[in-house]
Amino acid sequence: MFARDFMDTQFHTLHPQQNIAEAVSAFQKASESEEKKIFGMMVTDDEDRLVGMLSMYDVLNYVQPKNVAILGEMEDLDPAQVYSNRLKTIRSILVDDIMTTTVVTVQPDTHLMVIAEIMIKKHIRRLPVVKDQTVVGIVYVSDVFYWMMTIFTSNDA
Amino acid sequence: MPLVETRSVFSGIPVSEAMRRQVISLPFSADIGQGIRMMIRYKANAVLLTDKSVPFGVVSKTDLMGAFYADFPTETPLGDVMGSQPIACFPDDPLESALEIMEAAGVHRLYVTGANREEVIGTVAYSEIVGLLYRYCRACERGTAKKRMKLSGIDPSARLTVREVMTQDVWSCRDKDRLFTVIETLSTHHMGAVLVKDEAQSPVGVISKTDLILAYHHGVSQETESREIMNKPVHSVPAEELLSTAIQQMLINDVQRLFVHRDASNPDLICGVLALSDSARFRSGSCRACTAGRMLT
Repeated sequence: MFARDFMDTQFHTLHPQQNIAEAVSAFQKASESEEKKIFGMMVTDDEDRLVGMLSMYDVLNYVQPKNVAILGEMEDLDPAQVYSNRLKTIRSILVDDIMTTTVVTVQPDTHLMVIAEIMIKKHIRRLPVVKDQTVVGIVYVSDVFYWMMTIFTSNDA
Repeated sequence: MPLVETRSVFSGIPVSEAMRRQVISLPFSADIGQGIRMMIRYKANAVLLTDKSVPFGVVSKTDLMGAFYADFPTETPLGDVMGSQPIACFPDDPLESALEIMEAAGVHRLYVTGANREEVIGTVAYSEIVGLLYRYCRACERGTAKKRMKLSGIDPSARLTVREVMTQDVWSCRDKDRLFTVIETLSTHHMGAVLVKDEAQSPVGVISKTDLILAYHHGVSQETESREIMNKPVHSVPAEELLSTAIQQMLINDVQRLFVHRDASNPDLICGVLALSDSARFRSGSCRACTAGRMLT
């Protein structure tokens, strides 16, 4: 069982020069088209080479006002207004500015057990599958988990 | 001779109370582009540089702004442009002594090490200490805020106006000034941001150190005019606005300062600057009698 056998070949990517508001919109569209919540997206350049990853956490971390901890006694603040204002003002921030650039990847012929090991040890939920510097798929921790579940259930039967 | 002990709101509080365990660091061989990305991603003003995980130096936004001014390529190693050595303290040091070290060294951040001085376990930043001051002073029974509230029966922080807290020195540049001129202005006056005015002397934007290093990262030339990268609109408040409203505006807009205009009918007439750190100190009601309060002025 290798990455190529259960990787998802339908994936959405971001471009490093998209701004954060555009990235948020891309997350929404990807979630709608996949009919599931998308927690992170790969960032590829013009030649489809993987240059980084952008997660929901990265976006939230940036959009979150810096001084909330200092002045957190304003219970009357409307979060919707705060985040809306923040997204309006951060159009100059690009995906390239806040993406993670040190990305762990696997190859199509990486063994399932190696993939599981990487995910467990490095707390990674998604692993891009790269061949000749080009992204060919992505493996989610849920894919690994549910594949294992099918083994358990078939053994029980 | 009588022994006088000065007590402050921070008496007995160790550095560990205000310490952040996340340390923003990079190897000293990482390039300027990586350093800028790190600062933007974590909204940090400085990055610790390490040599094989051992603290080696600190590179700040000011250092990177200098590298932009000197026209260094963004592929330049951070070790070549770093400006200072990391200054460290222990987690059980009194917070007051950490403030003294910051004041003496002219820095806003200390690195916290354990018994092994080569292992950084956290950072303590001026802004986090301001946060603590804000919380403790609001709860302090001896604070000026509480005293005034007892006398008047009304929360005094809600009645303080921007005029009482703002500083009147406002530095500005023209929208047609080149970025290198803006860098010179910021460096000369040791400021974090400068107001941008148009030909009619109306405020049209703001340029901060963050905007400048972002422009550097995006490949913008230092010959570019200010208006190309300035932040719009200018966040300003009338001088008679309530301080609590101004603080809320800073929080919502995630800015460290607001420009102050003389009256609501003429927002173009800027007469001062309101810094978040000053606002937090005043709103908390920190006393001049308190050592820590004095240190944070």
